[in-house]
Amino acid sequence: MGKLREVELLLNQTQKVRFERAMERLQSRTNNSVIVADSIPFNHDEAFLKGHGTSLVDGESLTTVCGVVNHVDKLVYVRTLRARYKAEVGDIVVGRVIEVAQSRWRVELNSTQDGLLTSMNMPDAVQKRNTSVDELNMRNILVEDDVVCAQVGESQRDGSLQLLLARSHKYGKLHKGQLLKVDPYLVRRSNLHFHFIESLGIDLILGRNGFIWVGEHAQSNDPMVVDNEIISSKTRQSILRIGNAIRVLSTLGFTLTPAVIMETFNLSHTENVQIHDMLGSEFHVLVTEREAERRTRA
Amino acid sequence: MVGLSIGEQHFVKGGIAQDLRTDGRKRLTYRPIYVETGVIPQANGSARVKIGGTDVIASVKAEIGRPSSLQPDKGKVAVFIDCSPTAEPTFGGRGGEELSSELALALQRCLLGGKSGAGAGINLSSLLIKEGKVCWDLYIDGLVISSDGNLLDALGAAIKAALTNTAIPKVNVSAEVADDEQPEIDISDEEYLQFDTSSVPVIVTLTKVGTHYIVDATAEEESQMSSAVSISVNRVGHICGLTKRGGSGLDPSVILDMISVAKHVTETLMSKLDSEISAAEACEDES
Repeated sequence: MGKLREVELLLNQTQKVRFERAMERLQSRTNNSVIVADSIPFNHDEAFLKGHGTSLVDGESLTTVCGVVNHVDKLVYVRTLRARYKAEVGDIVVGRVIEVAQSRWRVELNSTQDGLLTSMNMPDAVQKRNTSVDELNMRNILVEDDVVCAQVGESQRDGSLQLLLARSHKYGKLHKGQLLKVDPYLVRRSNLHFHFIESLGIDLILGRNGFIWVGEHAQSNDPMVVDNEIISSKTRQSILRIGNAIRVLSTLGFTLTPAVIMETFNLSHTENVQIHDMLGSEFHVLVTEREAERRTRA
Repeated sequence: MVGLSIGEQHFVKGGIAQDLRTDGRKRLTYRPIYVETGVIPQANGSARVKIGGTDVIASVKAEIGRPSSLQPDKGKVAVFIDCSPTAEPTFGGRGGEELSSELALALQRCLLGGKSGAGAGINLSSLLIKEGKVCWDLYIDGLVISSDGNLLDALGAAIKAALTNTAIPKVNVSAEVADDEQPEIDISDEEYLQFDTSSVPVIVTLTKVGTHYIVDATAEEESQMSSAVSISVNRVGHICGLTKRGGSGLDPSVILDMISVAKHVTETLMSKLDSEISAAEACEDES
């Protein structure tokens, strides 16, 4: 993996040496990674629940996918790394509307299933009955290509669509910013997915499906109202800097948390790196070194 | 191609107006350009060029042919482009044909000059072996593997690099023959001549978004363009070709302004490409 990244990043000789050294420090001591048909060691005394990616063959527990073995209480499962996003109830996701159908919007989630938004699940809709006027007015609320933020609800019985909820004012249409795509495994489940960075006046939404929104803080209470003011140059620079920090971390395969993103952002300021140069090889090496230091300290 | 919401479109256009594009670049900054030569060993010359997310390969094959009767003192060059479905699913089957022929035509115009062969970036007379009888036919093929905007510039750079990498075998015309017979030729396996690429131009595409022009547009930015003008300029600063794409019309003063901007950008681009190509050739010689 390290060699692949070196080729992508076009490092020169000294940078290669520094990069490899930092990557070595980042390798974990315990290696939980497995490939298909590895056997999972477990105690027969304790009753283990076998989760995803495992199967019992001839009394032995074998893995069926490549990934990392995780133990959570009594559950043993294999977490795959490059799989498509699998929607779980309660996840915050960011999606793009791809179709306005009869009484609902179909949303692309970078997953095997598309998301489904109905007007019942929008803010201001307290058990509203769908009248025909509502159906005609659908395009006033959301059109194709709009970006929305929502929470995942139940999936339909036939497994084709995932219901999305956008009930409170926190969720809704996103504009005045940019959408970034990263691998879904880099966004871990946490309590907080909306981050309002006060010092910069920027909203950062880490969707668990790998779609990340960085934009100017939405001022108005009603997220469906479009505010057409021009973004100031200072805010724009912060948005672009955070966007590039996310791109760098994603290329290097580091988990995205607001803390890490802000650290990378601050690093780019202290090292006086131009926004565009953040995507260059030197900054990638700096970020790797800093991450190695952070982990060995912690 | 994924569409952009109204908010995102405003963001892209606003950024261009403020000289802060979505990846932090200025309007006239290119993405990092990566050149690799000699990627296809069986071809006479080849190169792979990556500009950001755009990835293209160009190859040059030389075959013995007969010069056309209209221009008996010149060799022939043909340019073909193929947009691979790996770049975009829509390029599969016949989907990429329109784009491929558009790109091939623009490249031919930039590299080969007019019908009489005047103003060609490639010196066709150097491909001649025997006047009226034998010449080299160069087949230049371009393949688009990954598309993130600015295909024409990438292909132009790849072709320039591939031509620099091209080695044409030396040919000895064995015997003098009568006028209506084909002479015997002896193609040397040992001696090769490097192709002279000092006058091959580079192509700079200026994309107009709103009231500003940008250089090296990403696919996102190209979706917001009103029109785009591709200008090929050679080392001396002469214009070798001009192509306009896009639906909206342009005032002539805008075109003249774009030409001067292109000439200015070409100076840096040409020197950057030259250094990248020589570094790539040096790398290839080592390995």
